[in-house]
Amino acid sequence: MTKSMQFSAKFGKFMFYFGNIIIGIIFVSPLIWMISASFKPEAEIFANMDSLTTFLPVQASLNNYAEVFSRLNLPQVFKNTLLYIALILIFDLLVNSMCGYALAKFEFRGKGAILNLVVALMVLPMEAIMLPLYIEMSQLGWVNTLAALVVPFIAKCFSIYMFRQFFYDIPDDLIEAAAIDGCSPMGTFFKIVVPISKTVYATVFILDFVAHWNDFMWPFLVMTGEDKRTIQLAVQSFFGTNPVHYSAIMAALVVSAIPMIIMFIFMQKYYVEGIASSGIKG
Amino acid sequence: MAKTKKLTGRKRDERIAAYIFVTPAVVLLIAFLVVPMIYTAYFSVFRYQIMRPDAMKFIGIENYIELFQDKNFWQALKNTVYFTIIVVPFQCALALGLALLVSKKFRGVAIFRTMYFSPQLTSMVVISVLWSVLYNANPNTGLFNSILTSLGLDPISFLNDENTAMNSIIFMSAWQGAGYQMMIFLAGLQGIPRDQYEAASVDGATKFKQFLYITLPGLKGTIKYVIMITMIQAMKLFTQPYIMTQGGPKNSTKTLVYYIYSEGFQRGNFGYACSIAAVFFVIVVCMSMAMKKVTTSTE
Amino acid sequence: MKKAISMAMALTVALTTAATTVPVMADDPVELTIWSPTDTAAIEAWWEEKIAEWNEANPDIQVSREAIDRSDSYAYDNKIATAVTSNDLPDIFYVDGPQVSYYAANGITVPLDDYFSEEDLSDFVDSAVAQNTYDGSLYAIGATESSVAFYYNKDYLTECGVDVADLDSRTVDNPITWSEFAEIAEKCTTDDYVGAHIIMDHGEGLPYALEPMYLSAGKDYISEDGTTSDGYVNSEEAVTTTAYLADMIAKGWANVEPITDEFLNGACATMLGGSWEIATLTENADFEWGVTYYPVNDDTKEAVSPCGDWAAAISKNCENVDAAGQFLQWLMNTENVATYAAAIAKPATRISAYDEEVMADYQEGNLALIKEQLENTAVPRPRTPSYAVFSSAYAEAMTNIFSDAASTGEVDNDYIQSELDVVSDTFTDDYETYYAE
Repeated sequence: MTKSMQFSAKFGKFMFYFGNIIIGIIFVSPLIWMISASFKPEAEIFANMDSLTTFLPVQASLNNYAEVFSRLNLPQVFKNTLLYIALILIFDLLVNSMCGYALAKFEFRGKGAILNLVVALMVLPMEAIMLPLYIEMSQLGWVNTLAALVVPFIAKCFSIYMFRQFFYDIPDDLIEAAAIDGCSPMGTFFKIVVPISKTVYATVFILDFVAHWNDFMWPFLVMTGEDKRTIQLAVQSFFGTNPVHYSAIMAALVVSAIPMIIMFIFMQKYYVEGIASSGIKG
Repeated sequence: MAKTKKLTGRKRDERIAAYIFVTPAVVLLIAFLVVPMIYTAYFSVFRYQIMRPDAMKFIGIENYIELFQDKNFWQALKNTVYFTIIVVPFQCALALGLALLVSKKFRGVAIFRTMYFSPQLTSMVVISVLWSVLYNANPNTGLFNSILTSLGLDPISFLNDENTAMNSIIFMSAWQGAGYQMMIFLAGLQGIPRDQYEAASVDGATKFKQFLYITLPGLKGTIKYVIMITMIQAMKLFTQPYIMTQGGPKNSTKTLVYYIYSEGFQRGNFGYACSIAAVFFVIVVCMSMAMKKVTTSTE
Repeated sequence: MKKAISMAMALTVALTTAATTVPVMADDPVELTIWSPTDTAAIEAWWEEKIAEWNEANPDIQVSREAIDRSDSYAYDNKIATAVTSNDLPDIFYVDGPQVSYYAANGITVPLDDYFSEEDLSDFVDSAVAQNTYDGSLYAIGATESSVAFYYNKDYLTECGVDVADLDSRTVDNPITWSEFAEIAEKCTTDDYVGAHIIMDHGEGLPYALEPMYLSAGKDYISEDGTTSDGYVNSEEAVTTTAYLADMIAKGWANVEPITDEFLNGACATMLGGSWEIATLTENADFEWGVTYYPVNDDTKEAVSPCGDWAAAISKNCENVDAAGQFLQWLMNTENVATYAAAIAKPATRISAYDEEVMADYQEGNLALIKEQLENTAVPRPRTPSYAVFSSAYAEAMTNIFSDAASTGEVDNDYIQSELDVVSDTFTDDYETYYAE
């Protein structure tokens, strides 16, 4: 390699990082602002919004966090939230991937109808069915129980359709080969298909985890009582009656974002061990 | 018909398996989406004050007649469609661009992915509050206008002018939502075999040609899926106008779901809200079925 | 033995009827549940202490409270609405003042007249009783009130040549007038400051904080009996009042989208702000500030101020209204009202509560002014079941009018009239659909 080529490779690499950092900053700035605000006293939060110094906590203190920790029973809140989301996700990944796989790879009567149903139901906004769903929960006697938080949200049209799209691209040869080796359809799915589809499972996991972690309205309607609080209810408890103190709210929001960020970084490892590295499509 | 009777053992196994595979999801979908939806359709033919369910009164299609004469409804429909048409290509292109930037493994890739995804990890309330301030009409308090005036330009009242409010929300929404679609594109990009790129670069194909002839065709299924879900999510726009503009000014950011919520829950006009929901459902289902037809016919 | 039998019976009943609540047995204590919005640590501690105190003194009536983590009042109303649909309401729940009529008219809450005699109520400020009365009956009872007053940045006003000593010396009989308000706003508008802050928020804050303007000009939003808006919110007086406010926006004396804490951050010279701002400013402001009475119309000089806060109501699902009534009587006694108001840093509803030591701050200074406004000039928001519909329609119209004024730089009375007509129509439509006989 000549020197100039080395230089241009280095320069290219520099530009690549430089570009990524600039774009990254644009995307991460609200998070930075939120974190910075969480260390500020109330009067500072909305001051200097016309300059970039708003992103720096000048008089940093931990007072806001002290208030959050004293007002909330955080271990309980995290336990409640993680438990319900974990239950949803376990069943979500299992039930929806199975359905998506059947829609992608099996021939059976009613397949077209189910696919249409899935697409149609994707459309339903939660706001339109909230009250009837609550009535149903009440009739089942599930109000104020874990079941009301978990069971209605296991089957998800977005997840089913996404699994279907990804399984659709898996070469039929691979499945045929497994069948010839005497694998049952179910065995093929769990032993061959699932292990090579980690990326799509990770994607659905991340997207659904984030959606439920941020959900406020439904837990608010069906759960009552401090011992049953989920993370968003805990955060919203700071938006009490007037005056609203954004300082404590920002600290509560930072605390509530931490588990999501950890989860997201942890899930990254499934993005490099995906289909590509096993090379099944070659 | 004759064919199906002579199913081989394997085909029969597959069919049984298929029913086992789809049943749990289908049962749950019917119980917790279809049933509430039927309720909603049922309520839509009643005069129903949300606080007084015992005084529900059957009024036939009166709500629907009122709805089709309601200029707020047509305005909301127009706004929703406008938002969708603009935001979908913008957001999908942005998401694909981001995914390409961080699809390969390099030092720090997880950090950059987290940065691009971080608007999804930050509360929508904070994002809306922050962007309201960034967009603030007063150059003394709004960052964007402070930049504009220092460049000698006139300040723009982004959220407070019916001509710019929706566009301001579109820009912010694409920025906020792109991380979501980026993750789906990333998953799709992992599915494109690496050796295709290796072969192409041995043949001397430029990066741009590789993108055109390998990446795009390899992502065909993913792109269609992403466009469809982005469209559906866009049609459901609610939180941003709810927090940032309350549907205004002059109804310019009132969307259909916002209208459902404000009629049904803020004003308690629940039967009417259900009729908006029913019409909304029909419109979006038609749109997505058309999309699906395009998707499946070329697969 | 007796207890064992009754327990066995209760168990059998519970199992056979599959009901979620165990029916009240002769020997079992009455159980009452309360819903109220989650609040600061001081208030949460107050509830805990008071409920423990009550439960110990009254073994036959056991009370428990659930803190509701409302994000905004619409979310809270949603929770009540869904609970209504399935009869899951608690025995007692808190309601925001202007919503009392809505719940009462829909039969969600029951009258409290049997538990609060006229004599009891004479110790409450008139506005609080009026706000919680619908159709001649008392439907809710609260411990705290709120108000809005005129705040000014003394340091900055002095700089601008405004006579601050004059503002400080105003009395309830001699408040500043609209034209004085506008004059100060104009004088204090510079490159770095706007003269006034008149938009509390884009929701309930608008009708709440601005209503005295309309009342002072001679017409309320809605007729006294809560049935009619035509000729009120869209009257000539209302148009003039709205034009006065829109003019401040058009001339750039007030921001059309003020940031949160605009006054505290030294971005505006004066503000129409809630009584709760006193605590925030005392704690955080790094400049000298003052408060005076709500401005009055130049012609009428009629002094009016806003009021209203959350209050407790008994739900239609309460099986033992007497027990709930007794509990509320105790909850709203002078000592409890005083300690609650002190903990939440809001003015109390009971006049006698101000004599308690915890309320000593209200004897003089800024807080005394708030108390004085409440006792003399406070007028509740319209008592009509369609208030929520009115409120959202009015907030929407005002946002449109202010945006229009800000973008064109002038005030268009015809446009104001057309927007206020829409508010009136929206109200009338809802009222006639659901409440008119």
